[in-house]
Amino acid sequence: MRDITVLAGSSHPEFAEEICKRLGIPLGKCKLGKFSNNETSVAIQDSVRDVDVYIVQSGCGSVNDNFVELLIMIAACKTASARKVTAVIPCFPYARQAEAPYKKNGMPLSRVPAHEQMGSTQYKHWTARAGTLVCNMLMAAGADHIITMDLHDPQFQGFFDIPVDNLYGQPLILKYIREMVPNYHEAVIVSPDAGGAKRATIIADRLNMDFALIHKERNHPMHSPNQAGGGGATLDGVTLGSDRMLVGHVRDRVCILIDDIADTSFTITKAAKLLDKAGAARIYAIVTHGLLSGDALKRIRESKIDELVVSNSVPQQAHLEATDKLKVFDITAMFAEAIRRIHNGESVSFLFESVPY
Amino acid sequence: MLNGYASSSSTNPPNSIKLFTGNSHPEMAAAIARRLGLQVAKCVVLKYSNQETCVTIGESVRDEDVYIIQSGCGEINDHLMELLILITACKNASARRVTAVMPCFPYARQDKKDKSRAPITAKVIANMLTVAGANHVITMDLHASQIQGFFNIPVDNLYAEPSTLKYIRTKIMRMPSVVIVSPDAGGAKRAASIADKLNVDFALIHKERKKANEVSKMVLVGDVTDRVAILVDDMADTCGTLVLAAKTLIDNGCQEVYALVTHGVLSGDAIAKINHSPIKSLIVTNSIPHEHLKAQCAKLDTIDISGTFAEAIRRTHNGESVSFLFHYVPA
Repeated sequence: MRDITVLAGSSHPEFAEEICKRLGIPLGKCKLGKFSNNETSVAIQDSVRDVDVYIVQSGCGSVNDNFVELLIMIAACKTASARKVTAVIPCFPYARQAEAPYKKNGMPLSRVPAHEQMGSTQYKHWTARAGTLVCNMLMAAGADHIITMDLHDPQFQGFFDIPVDNLYGQPLILKYIREMVPNYHEAVIVSPDAGGAKRATIIADRLNMDFALIHKERNHPMHSPNQAGGGGATLDGVTLGSDRMLVGHVRDRVCILIDDIADTSFTITKAAKLLDKAGAARIYAIVTHGLLSGDALKRIRESKIDELVVSNSVPQQAHLEATDKLKVFDITAMFAEAIRRIHNGESVSFLFESVPY
Repeated sequence: MLNGYASSSSTNPPNSIKLFTGNSHPEMAAAIARRLGLQVAKCVVLKYSNQETCVTIGESVRDEDVYIIQSGCGEINDHLMELLILITACKNASARRVTAVMPCFPYARQDKKDKSRAPITAKVIANMLTVAGANHVITMDLHASQIQGFFNIPVDNLYAEPSTLKYIRTKIMRMPSVVIVSPDAGGAKRAASIADKLNVDFALIHKERKKANEVSKMVLVGDVTDRVAILVDDMADTCGTLVLAAKTLIDNGCQEVYALVTHGVLSGDAIAKINHSPIKSLIVTNSIPHEHLKAQCAKLDTIDISGTFAEAIRRTHNGESVSFLFHYVPA
């Protein structure tokens, strides 16, 4: 391919190397690091004049460092007369509003609940969403195009004034289920929360499988406080957990949980617990972005999940070493094909339905 | 008035100052708040377990004049994101004006395309502050004052010089024998200005650099024999330059060497270098927190510049001139 350079940020260099291998081009040379005062240093060593530059950087690890590095790389290519700079972000940072920091379990470093730190006031504390800011920063740095996968909010695309190609992990997930889950026709697709129902039903429809939903229900009439935690099935096809309910039949069946992000993995491990309670035979969880931060790995190991399947949108090597429940599917082919098509001006929508060979 | 926002304040009801702070330098924010007779606004800046920054705002900023204090030090990128998210949060919460107060401007030294394809990161930072929604920036002793031109919003570049002069006059004294020395040609103007104001001699050290952060050879221009030399610079990072300059001065017959620096980044093994150097005392402003380093380095002393920032905030809020602060230390 002509007039193309792929550069790797320091978050996930293997991903960029795989893309280059598939495209049959060498990885662009650049030197990344930090000065002794912790400022990020970027030196692009190949000429990028009049070339389409693709910069691969995932939103993982030290998110802020990696994101600032991406911005500086974009700006460096832009000032060095690159024709077009595309940010390839397999896992988009700050894509979702993480749950409120003062939530009890599984949530962040929130050592002390926010309202206790701030003293009680009438003002309702709120947590800032950085989504628009991150989009504006990418545009201000000079990005001309964004390629990403399974954005938590599809509306996110609207925050940009530049083209955003949001690829889907779904064709690869379908492929994985077809090839790796024995007797998948008998299994049930489960969404671990109401927000992901649409994502899960599409997969269930495509594979002609049954579907179940877990719903966080705090003030359900059947759910009086003294019943909480102890409640069994009270309605046909409904199983109550301590703070959530399962709608659908899963007894003695294989369950496949589908979600887009497993961060602290609090949601899917809770969901697996409820599925187990409802009599599920085996529990898979297939998730596009396996950030697995905090004590997620410990939680997964101790959970009822039999197999957690994630993509390599963030580096998984360390996670693989920590738990043998983890399986990884490769999405670099998808990105390489998207880059090839975008560079050649072909349609990308083929990739929304099919897996490239 | 500047950019129109200040003129609108005449029609709106009077608003008040809200001070926010990130995690880079809470002591500075507390000192400024104390001087202004305010409380730092309630807000919690944390990190999620996935390392994303999480900002929770604990009080209303609607129609208020917001000042966010964050210095470019420590984990620079984390602190930068904190600042940007705070700005956006306040802007989205209908603050009338948001001012970023950055005692030390991050990435200020990456301000030119000095090699092929080198990024002009200072310009990127300027763009980021603007898109985040900052209406105004207050900083101090920018490495290159041209960085002000990277912005399309007003930038107040305060000077540490008046505070530095005050320190020399009150703490070092021994005026006639003092000579002000610039450790490199780039700082000559800054040093000459201080020498002029103190009415003392001036000397210059010319250095030949081979690589960034590495100095090869130093040439002294001017007489320092049996004098007290005061090295003046805007930034002490790894301190390689300062230590070599001090050695050069001692080799040329200098009695004592002081170093007065605005931004004491003191990264890498700077402290060890200073401890083993002939520098008698290294004086930095508190634009970057360094109290924790004093236990390791008895030579370190502080010039407090929180008063200058507090006064600049007060004047900016009231629409008064800030240029007074370019020449005087607020009482």
